[in-house]
Amino acid sequence: MALSGTVLTELARILGADGVFTSREARLTYEADMHTLYKGEPDAVVLPRSTEQVRDVVRLCRRERIPIVPRGSGTGLIGGAMAPRGGVMVSMTRMTEMLEIDLANRSATVQPGVINLWLTDAVRDRGYFFAPDPSSQMVSSIGGNVSTNAGGPHCLKYGITTNHVLGLEFVTGAGDVLRVGGKAADRPGYDLPGAMVGAEGTFGLVTAVTVRLLHLPEAVKTALAAFASVVDASEAVSAIIAAGIVPAALEMLDEAMVGAINAAVGKVYPDGAGAVLLIELDGPRAEVEAQGERIAAICRQRQALFVTVARDELERALLWKGRKEAAGAIGRIASAYLLQDAVVPRSKLPQIMKEMIALGRRYNVVIANVFHAGDGNLHPMICYDDRNADEFARAQEANEALLRACIALGGSVTGEHGVGMDKAKNLPLQYADADLNFMYRLRRVFDPDGLMNPAKLLPSHPACGEGFRPTRPTLPDGAWV
Amino acid sequence: MTVTTRALSGALAAVVGADRIHEDEAGLATAAIDGVTPRWLAAPATPEQVAQLLALAHEERLAVVPRGSGTALEQGGPPRRLDLVLDLRRLQAVVEHNPDDLTISVQAGMTAGTLAARLAPHRQTLPLDPPGWSTRTLGGIAATQASGPLRMRYGTMRDLLLGVRFVQADGVLTWGGARVVKSVTGYDVPKLMVGALGTLGVLVELTLRLHPVADVESSSLVMFRSAAAAQEMVALLLDSAVQPSRLEILNDRTLTACGLPVAAAALAVSIATVEPAVRAQEAALTTLVARVGGRLEPLGGSFWHLYDRTLAAAGGVTLRIGTVPSRLAVTLAETRNAFGDAAVSGCAGLGALRARVDASDATALAGGIERLRGVVADGDGGVVIERGPRALRTAIDPWGPVPAPALTVMRAIKHAFDPTGVLNPGRFVDGL
Repeated sequence: MALSGTVLTELARILGADGVFTSREARLTYEADMHTLYKGEPDAVVLPRSTEQVRDVVRLCRRERIPIVPRGSGTGLIGGAMAPRGGVMVSMTRMTEMLEIDLANRSATVQPGVINLWLTDAVRDRGYFFAPDPSSQMVSSIGGNVSTNAGGPHCLKYGITTNHVLGLEFVTGAGDVLRVGGKAADRPGYDLPGAMVGAEGTFGLVTAVTVRLLHLPEAVKTALAAFASVVDASEAVSAIIAAGIVPAALEMLDEAMVGAINAAVGKVYPDGAGAVLLIELDGPRAEVEAQGERIAAICRQRQALFVTVARDELERALLWKGRKEAAGAIGRIASAYLLQDAVVPRSKLPQIMKEMIALGRRYNVVIANVFHAGDGNLHPMICYDDRNADEFARAQEANEALLRACIALGGSVTGEHGVGMDKAKNLPLQYADADLNFMYRLRRVFDPDGLMNPAKLLPSHPACGEGFRPTRPTLPDGAWV
Repeated sequence: MTVTTRALSGALAAVVGADRIHEDEAGLATAAIDGVTPRWLAAPATPEQVAQLLALAHEERLAVVPRGSGTALEQGGPPRRLDLVLDLRRLQAVVEHNPDDLTISVQAGMTAGTLAARLAPHRQTLPLDPPGWSTRTLGGIAATQASGPLRMRYGTMRDLLLGVRFVQADGVLTWGGARVVKSVTGYDVPKLMVGALGTLGVLVELTLRLHPVADVESSSLVMFRSAAAAQEMVALLLDSAVQPSRLEILNDRTLTACGLPVAAAALAVSIATVEPAVRAQEAALTTLVARVGGRLEPLGGSFWHLYDRTLAAAGGVTLRIGTVPSRLAVTLAETRNAFGDAAVSGCAGLGALRARVDASDATALAGGIERLRGVVADGDGGVVIERGPRALRTAIDPWGPVPAPALTVMRAIKHAFDPTGVLNPGRFVDGL
């Protein structure tokens, strides 16, 4: 549905002529995030520079009943920043100011379009960093990280985005500007920043973020351990956690992934290993040294083929190089893949890895693994040839079967990528009607007209919220006299 | 449908058993909140019983107050209405403990002390230590977002609560979050329930992230001639590689209350990790202390127990002061100006302080709180009455101001989940 001339005029008035794009080429540029199976062009793309502009866009869209889709860098993996129902896409790429850096109180306030790594770059030489480190951190925006509650390899130790957000400014679906939380501890009232982080733009548009900065650790130690099989490596992961060590990062790569990476970027990992563990410790030097020795001993007890420790920053970068290039390297073995983000309790890793091998055989698809083993967050890449409809169908079936297996082991539908369009249908695996109903009602508080990033995060349901009431408890006999 | 009190008593008794419903004067007197006596006190044993009681109460528009150990009943506004008190302390079960995953699911009536005893053989801990923590229920700690010294390193319940089961106002058992350490599936419902004082639902089960117990913990006291010097030391520590697990600031009155040598201000610092790293960080601490000019003394292993008991001691008024580390000294000084005399302490590294003042004249105290609120607001902070007599909490808003646009949303959230206002009416911000 094209926008009316009046709406376009008003948008241009709010944003200036260079802030509104409606050409076919422009709209196509924004039709998908990195999950390119989900496509939907917005009717217009706007690029605000201020909170007031965002507010005025929301108010206009609300008056005209036009859907609103927020977008950061578009690096999401879930079909989130795309417009299945058209409408206005609000791209935050011009809101890139760092509003305040307050190292004395270890915090910073930035506009949502600031790129994750820019913030660390701005404070690193003074000894600080922003902990959430999604693999996309060179290009993904902090507003996007907030919207998806992004994780990353180091969230094993440091927690995900929500643990680092102190305050937010955002425009609700009703067009109100809210400033919630802040640098000072313990605000009275409901935890609105906590509710907003991870809401994927369905509550509103984030216009400023106050985050916690951490002091850089004194020492970092990175080790690599190779194992004969993913099951052996998974058991080593469990043993490390059970020994009371929480490394900064604990990543696993399986044989298919190691092969692809070595083919793509040179022989960075030992060929022929069934699995490689990348282990990073950080903290006080003496702690890192002592725990490093303990971990090496655990890996050897668990039949590691060998264990090596980076001696300097160059070797450390080399150990990480393959991990960071994984998504690109997979192109060596497949033209396309489905990326799963489910979670299992970490003690169930050996079990789910066995299951995954079986699923690959049953559906006759190659599954390559590189994932955050320390917190049980799987990222299998289920490979297929996109010219082969049958193989694509099998890959999809394997993907869904794997997700169900993770949930059956007590896991979660998504660990860090988010829900978007991709996984909205899967929420009933993890939540009962009552749980989902709670979420529908929460959504409507922030977005009374159902215009904020529609069709994302929650499954559509027949009654659209109204009259959808879960079963109330049955009262025992005699309860009603 | 309205039924008689007698019929309702029968219905409530049918849910929990006649011996678990109190409606006698003596029994109910123990359940009174701020002098308001409920019509019933019920002690459900299972989440399902809580759900059934709430369904009944909702049908009859009974005002329900959930309670755990009762530590925080002198918090918030006085109840606007009160019919049924739910004593949740029988909800004691461990639902699932996965030591290798560092997670546990327990019912909300379990005390933090019981949980600690259960975890000790596994060398695991839930690092949450609000004053009097061992006898407080986990549900109560979650509902009040209460915290203590360990938040310096581990955060608060907000950071440790992975999943939550609760009963909505109309009796629907609901789950939010996950049982694993990492999940972003759907909205972060646990965050919304933490600190909501039971106004959106009654917490019945919590899934918690655990941490390994460190090999060694070593604690020191650093005494200073001025609060400004203590603040400078905090700044140096935060800007160093030292990673304290607790970093508490204590003013002179708190030092006296703990039986410690008196100084203008002091820091109690603990470092917990492997032995060699503890020694190395102690050495780094000593160097920093020399730079600022403080006096350093070791603290024995029993100090934190003593500190906890001192903070939890009954009587008086406790205020929670939220500020930032760069305003510690001014906040300490202004607290003294506002109340003449106050025992102040708290997490220096995060600016989360507590002040204990004598419960004297409510009007004078309210004036002091008003003044202090004005001062901490400059640094974006606030003052909440964590514990105090009813007279004080009616003389002044116990929560302090919440900006209007945010308050509008909070009211809408409350209305969405408890439209008839039966859950803890009157006690939360804005009387929600």
